[in-house]
Amino acid sequence: MELHGLAQVIEGASGALSTTAAAVIGAAGAAAITALYLLRLRRRRVVVAFAPLWLGAPGAERAARRTRRVRHWLSLALALGLFAAILIGAVDSQRGALDHGAIDRSGRSLVVLIDRSASMSATDEAGSRLAAARRRADEIIAGLTGADSALVASFAADATAESGFESDPRRLSRAIAGVAPSDEPGDLQRALAFAAAILRGRPRPTVVLVSDGGFTDDALRLAPVDPDGRPLDVRYAPVGRRADNVGLLSLAARRIPADPGAVETALVVQSFRPTAATVGVEVLSGGAVVEKVELSLAPGERRRLTLPNLFAPDARIEARLTGTDDLADDDRARATIPPLPRRRILRVGGPDLYLDGALLGLGRTVHLDRLAAADADQAAARARDYDLVIFDGVTPSAPPKSGRFLYFDPQGPGSPFAPAREARTVRNPVLDPASLHRDHPLLRQLDLTDVNVAEARRFALGPGDVALAASFDVPLIIARERPGLRVAALAFDPRRSDLPMRPAFPLLVANALAWAARDDAGAPAPSVDTGATVRDARESDTTPVRTLALGGQVLAPPDPPTRHSHGRFRSWALILAAALLLFEWFSYHRRWTT
Amino acid sequence: MSAAGDSTAGAAGAGPADGPIGSRFDDRFLRKLESLALTIRRTTAGRSHGMRRSRRVGAGLEFADHRDYVPGDDLRYLDWNLYGRLERRALRLYEEDEDLSIDVLVDASASMAMGRPAKLDLALQIGAALAYVGLSNLDHVGVTALGAEAAGPPPGRGKARILPILRYLDAVRPPHRASRPSLEAAVREFLSRRRGRRRGLVALVSDFYDPAGARAALELVRRNRLEAIAVQISAPDELAPQLRGDLQLCDAETGEVRDLTISPRALADYAQRHAALLRELRGYCRERAISCFTVTSEQPFDAVVLRMFRTGGLLG
Repeated sequence: MELHGLAQVIEGASGALSTTAAAVIGAAGAAAITALYLLRLRRRRVVVAFAPLWLGAPGAERAARRTRRVRHWLSLALALGLFAAILIGAVDSQRGALDHGAIDRSGRSLVVLIDRSASMSATDEAGSRLAAARRRADEIIAGLTGADSALVASFAADATAESGFESDPRRLSRAIAGVAPSDEPGDLQRALAFAAAILRGRPRPTVVLVSDGGFTDDALRLAPVDPDGRPLDVRYAPVGRRADNVGLLSLAARRIPADPGAVETALVVQSFRPTAATVGVEVLSGGAVVEKVELSLAPGERRRLTLPNLFAPDARIEARLTGTDDLADDDRARATIPPLPRRRILRVGGPDLYLDGALLGLGRTVHLDRLAAADADQAAARARDYDLVIFDGVTPSAPPKSGRFLYFDPQGPGSPFAPAREARTVRNPVLDPASLHRDHPLLRQLDLTDVNVAEARRFALGPGDVALAASFDVPLIIARERPGLRVAALAFDPRRSDLPMRPAFPLLVANALAWAARDDAGAPAPSVDTGATVRDARESDTTPVRTLALGGQVLAPPDPPTRHSHGRFRSWALILAAALLLFEWFSYHRRWTT
Repeated sequence: MSAAGDSTAGAAGAGPADGPIGSRFDDRFLRKLESLALTIRRTTAGRSHGMRRSRRVGAGLEFADHRDYVPGDDLRYLDWNLYGRLERRALRLYEEDEDLSIDVLVDASASMAMGRPAKLDLALQIGAALAYVGLSNLDHVGVTALGAEAAGPPPGRGKARILPILRYLDAVRPPHRASRPSLEAAVREFLSRRRGRRRGLVALVSDFYDPAGARAALELVRRNRLEAIAVQISAPDELAPQLRGDLQLCDAETGEVRDLTISPRALADYAQRHAALLRELRGYCRERAISCFTVTSEQPFDAVVLRMFRTGGLLG
């Protein structure tokens, strides 16, 4: 059993063992063990009634004595072997540390800082750049000496410690394996500040940055320092092989108020390849492709693409790039478009299938109330409750002071537009294309060419009134905008024209609703800017950086790994020691040894 | 075989249960001893006192049995008729009623002090019980502790003799000298003192741990025309020792010290030698028609004595 105590003493002392000390301890230990075995241990004395019963024949006893002597020396050999194994393990560890004599790395404190930003998901390395970074970090950890301690941290927008300071490579490897990819941009300065903070007060602080080097110039402008302002030793281990990526940098979409089923989409695509690239752009709504465009991009070219009128009834749209590159994360972008607000319309007048059809075309985006022609005055009084009041061939007794209105053929003393001096109507007016105000919201996307009108009234325009369409000097479509009041009017009865038979009629009604619903500043109320991607364009640039400079100073590579054999030898030595202990124990209890 | 009558017992004075005698023979022992004597007396009731039937070669008139001839037997008592018919050499045994002389020899050597409980304690209790039963039967009883410093009380008859015997036995202690007295020598010394007394029965209570073997002492008894009874006592830890490891064995009697590693094989060898010792003793006793009993020191003395009387032929 004395071997057990000896092993504990030796193992306890092996932590800080130099070669000279190991030689001294080895000599002293071997001498002590040999002395212990040469000195006969005092045996327990037992008195027995009749000793001859215990002792065999003299010859057999002599043989037993010889065997006992052999076992005694065998036990001594086992003890010396055990001692030597433990000592070799301890000395070998120190030798491993001293192998690279040019580099003094005794007792370093390392922070292995692994970049897990979005660009580290590029697949130009086996698995991904992050997988390569994990492998590189494992190599660094495996190269540590027994006196080093290391901490594994990862960073993207934030830095995270994946472990504490450890000397056990297995725990550090488990921490490295736990680093997960992120789609955030990498904030190098924050990560370095984090590493410097946790290295404060520790001996020989060193940061090993394992990254593809995709950082902004601002991030690289400052030299790394510790919290006390002293320079921080930062080493750089690059990963990444090539730059082969085309990224969808942004996606914006808004719904067109006049056409609730349509959206206007804007995308930004950039190539980060060193050669020309051709990619396809697909826009999907509700899972179905609604637009497909092919782009040819020069090296490094950034292209803004606007798709103005996509049929996308679903609230969610997705844009994606087709083709193969190293980074899949920036090949898709998704946007959710808020629905248009529901508008309230009050229709006043008799039956009009054409108008009802146009209003039905607005779908569920409108709430429609109806009043009879006799209730025109009541409708005018309730105008503030509606986004648009349509007087279809009827005119209230007095022109309204506020509200939003669309008149078809206003007439009488309540007409908002005064009749012209020449009161007679105009038969078969001819719409003058030159008179069209095509940029006015009421006429957006309207084609009024060759509209036939049987008869139109003559109105005199007041201040601020605009004739959007006219037949020479006879206004046919009039718009009035005053504070709190918007009035649009057709100077003719649509039912006495072929306008209701044309696509322009429902569009005119929708435009009137959109124009009426605009706020006073003139911004298109129902339009939305949404769906911008969260990607940072910098992260789409997967160009690997082989040499990284911080504050103008090029970062050195990590120290080469220490000789790996020491760990192996030490492990074998300890395994051998354990085996010898086991054998000694077994033989002791089986009485093989003395 | 004589039976101890009540009047005789009363004339002999007070019984052993009147009070404890030393630490070895306490009240409990004395009560058991009295009870044992009563049990044996009931078994032998109806016989005239002072008479005991013994089987002896050549003496008496009533043929009892044969036993095998062994070298040294008197050829005059060889059953020639049996030899003529069966070619078997056997001696004729005759039963003889006699006034018996009983000598109880208790081995008090150092080895008898070994064991838990000590073998010597049981040996002395057995010796005391045999003596008391013999005295109760009006036999002529003497007790000797072989190897003890003091000599035993002179042999005598009557229950009153039990008290000096018990005091003597209670004072017996194993010797301190580191030498192994031969059992044969001790018996020889006893016989030299006994010279001139009538023939009788000698009960030898010992562990028979003797380098010369057990047969020498028993043979000596037998050659002096005494009927021998052997009671071999072993301690439980001698039958199944619990020793392990590297030890220094010291012989209790010689003081000789030997290093020994107690391995399972060593234990097996010990058990084999111990069994051989007992086997040899039993074989010898069987050959010589000697009653032999092997007991362990944890057995109660009364059970041992009763067994001796019931199965060993002591009741005649």
